Order: sequence, then structure tokens, then C-alpha cells
Amino acid sequence: MVKSLLYIFSFLVLGEFLKEVLHIPIAGNIVGMFLIFFALKFKLIKLSAVKPASDKLLKYLVLFFIPYGVGLLAYYQLIQAFWAYIAIAVVVSAVITLYLTAIILQKFGKNG
Amino acid sequence: MDNLFESPIFGVFITLLAFFGANALRKRIPLAIFNPVLMATVSIIVVLVVFKIDIEAYNKGGDLLTFFLGPSIVALGVFFYEKYEEIKNDFIPFFIAVIVGGLMSIVSVVLILLLFNVPLVIVKSLASKSVTTPIAIEVSKMIGGIPEITAGIVILVGIFGNAFGPAILKFMGITSKSALGAALGTAAHGIGTARALEEGKLTGVYSGLAMCVNGIVTAVVTPYIIDCFL
Repeated sequence: MVKSLLYIFSFLVLGEFLKEVLHIPIAGNIVGMFLIFFALKFKLIKLSAVKPASDKLLKYLVLFFIPYGVGLLAYYQLIQAFWAYIAIAVVVSAVITLYLTAIILQKFGKNG
Repeated sequence: MDNLFESPIFGVFITLLAFFGANALRKRIPLAIFNPVLMATVSIIVVLVVFKIDIEAYNKGGDLLTFFLGPSIVALGVFFYEKYEEIKNDFIPFFIAVIVGGLMSIVSVVLILLLFNVPLVIVKSLASKSVTTPIAIEVSKMIGGIPEITAGIVILVGIFGNAFGPAILKFMGITSKSALGAALGTAAHGIGTARALEEGKLTGVYSGLAMCVNGIVTAVVTPYIIDCFL
């Protein structure tokens, strides 16, 4: 478990490092996500070497972002002034996204 | 007592307590609105407001938990690799569907908010509203949004997709299980994926993958879309 966590953090550090050095306009942790995918795909590392830590992190992913949700409290007044517009925009946009994605895959997908 | 509230122990403790309490409640009442993240978030907010505890004090502990979002994003790469193997044969149509859906998700929410003359900081905070919270937060920070607003709205979007997504899609004539999954993952990230898993394994796999692909698409293109419109 600790060893697999070391792998995860190695890719995180590498992602942050490359972002800084190459001035990539994406967050370092997202660069790290790319790198670990390609490292697995090209068999540079084994799935079993990283899976214990990654499964645990994803199992508790929602716990890690609750504090950000709570932080919304500090912006209560800003949100309150525009909540109706926000609600309309978010719902309409979500329905468009759901439909477009589904209809394209339903027309051209192979797996039913 | 103030000393305890000022310590990181307080923020971590109350978050763990709310999270496990909300999960226990969800097991008893399986309704979308009793989503554990929503319940936990709301109950912590209530405690902070009732006991007049500063958000800064809470965040001393909260920051310890949000620190793990970074490694969790890397873990999504591992998850993606595992699931990718299962749908290789269908990857191109799937990929196109998610990219188109993901792009239109950003463009449509930005355009509608601009139409309503909502302050730009809110537009920037909501551009990434459909993707998994940790990535949405990163995108929001990068383009000058407020990550706390992003996180709150992203969670609500997920709950909306979880509660109403399948019904909306069925109403619109979607019958394909894989299409249902891809749509839920693209529009409503992990919380939508939780619902997709209830609809079946294939639906769940497509949803989880769609969440990852849309996360990547959104992380890469949102800064450019924002540049175009603002």
C-alpha cells in the first residue's frame, strides 16, 4: 500500500515538475494522470504496483472534496444574487450535454 | 473551546463524522437527494453557522483532506487504464461522443451565463461544471474562477444527473445502455457514474470512462474557450 502510494506521488511530482519546466498550461496533477496512464499502457509499470493506493484514493475521493463544498458558504451572498440564472444555465447545459453525448454514441456505437 | 476549533483536528473530525453519518443515512433512505456528499456538506455548513465557527478555522482541517485531491487525480489515470481495456472496440465513437458532449457542456453554460449578464467570476467558476470535482477545481483555479463555487455547483450538477439523467434520456428516446452511461459520466461525473452503475456494469464502465475523458477534454480546452468568449 505504501509502496503503491509512492508510485502515485512519483507521478504527481513528475507531473508538477514537467508542468513547471515545459510551461504546460494544465495542472501538474492532470499531467501526472496522463503519465501514469501511458506508463501502464506501455507496460513501464504494473497495474498491481499502483492499484492498492489508487483504489483507496478513489474510494474516498468524495471525502476529499467536501471541504470545498463547505467553502461555498463564504460566497453565499454572491450566489444568492444570481441563483436563478445559475440554475437555468446549469440545468439547460446539463440536458444538452446528456442528449448530445447519448445520441452520438447511440447512433455510432457498437456495444448497445 | 476556541482552541479546539482553531486546531486542524476539528475540521478533519467534523468532516469524517458528517461523511460517515451521511453514508449511513443514505443506506436507510436511498433517494438521490440524500446524496452523501450533499448531506455531509450541508450538515457541516449548518454546524459552522449555528456555532459561529469561522470557515478559516474549519479549513485548517479541511485543507488536510483536500490535499489528497492531487494524488486522487493521478489515481483516475489508473482507473482509466483499467476500464479502457474493456471498451477498446468501441473507443472511437465513444471518444467523439464524449468530446462533443464535453465541449458543448462548456460552451452552452458559458453562453447562457453571459446572456444573463452574470459576473465573469461566476462564469469562470461554472465553465467546468460537468467534470469530476478535483479536475473542475483545478480548471477553475487556472482560469480565475472561485474553486469553492465550482465545487458546490459541480456537486449539485452531479446530483441532478444522478436523479434525473436516466429519465430525461429515456424521454428523449435513448435506449442504448452504453449511450446512457457515456452521457451520465460526461454530464454528471462521479455522482452520475454512481447511478450508471445501478443501471448495469456496461453502463457503469462507459460512465466512468466518460468522466475521465471529459475531465481531460475540459482541462485542456476550457482556458481557450474562455479566451474566445470573454
